[in-house]
Amino acid sequence: MSTDEGLTYKGLTYKGLLARGVGAGAVSGLLAGLVGVLVVEAPIRAALAVEQARPAEPGGGHEHGELFSRGTQVVGGVLAAVVVGVAVGALFATAYARSRRWFTTEAPFVRAVALSAAAFGAAAVLPAVKYPANPPGVGAADTVEYRTVLYLGLIAAGLLVAVGASALASRLGRWSPPVRATAVALAAVAAVVVLLVVFPATPDTVPSDVPGGLLWEFRLASLAETATLWLGLGVVFGLLVDPATRRAEASAV
Amino acid sequence: MTSPAHSLPVPIPRWAYAVALVALVVTWLVLQENGIALGHAAETVHEFFHDGRHALGVPCH
Repeated sequence: MSTDEGLTYKGLTYKGLLARGVGAGAVSGLLAGLVGVLVVEAPIRAALAVEQARPAEPGGGHEHGELFSRGTQVVGGVLAAVVVGVAVGALFATAYARSRRWFTTEAPFVRAVALSAAAFGAAAVLPAVKYPANPPGVGAADTVEYRTVLYLGLIAAGLLVAVGASALASRLGRWSPPVRATAVALAAVAAVVVLLVVFPATPDTVPSDVPGGLLWEFRLASLAETATLWLGLGVVFGLLVDPATRRAEASAV
Repeated sequence: MTSPAHSLPVPIPRWAYAVALVALVVTWLVLQENGIALGHAAETVHEFFHDGRHALGVPCH
């Protein structure tokens, strides 16, 4: 019914990659959700306690936990990671299928992990450096849209740097591998530094009643969850893709 | 000598871009939706996924 059979590449079609991406995303999302429950929930709980100790804001501040109990929100937190994992896994499969320049001489497992590491850097580490994650009770409601634009803009710019770095690497194809890797790394670092300088600072200040220790415990815990999501995706996707590619190659010989 | 097979791209059908769009919309609904698409129902979605949004580093209030 479809022309996919005609497009078969060593037994791995786009459909096959997509199925593996969605499966890997579900697994890594679940793992990230478990990290959320085990590691991120404690500082979230502490931050909510700080927020609730405040006098009620005039004009009605954003009240948490009225629609859902804390327990339901914990389940929602795991579900959020799983749903985002599946969506990101589908995008990851497409990016993997399109990545003609990414470590082309390496095994599929290495390529998958390298791609997920790049995505983790652009979509999680970069925004975490400029606009670190904040627990409930820190962000001001009236700046949330501006902060969202800055955050999404920085992620988009970071992904462009990753794509640009791979384009540069293929342009310098004739250079010796160490010199080329050094040049690409320097260019990527320079681009990231420019982004960090050019993007405006976050408009919010952290309220004085939020302990610095709690803030950083939350930020590192949040980074652990996003690292689990992205790197887990690369590892699981790589484990699913690698044997299939090898089998296809073996049967083609 | 490394296998040249790995450098061959997998052909991507057109519907793949519809899948990518759906994936982006789903991510938006879970992490960013504040009322643009869902109106009042957005608050329910927002509150249900609230822990997940914070934990995944998305700007929130």
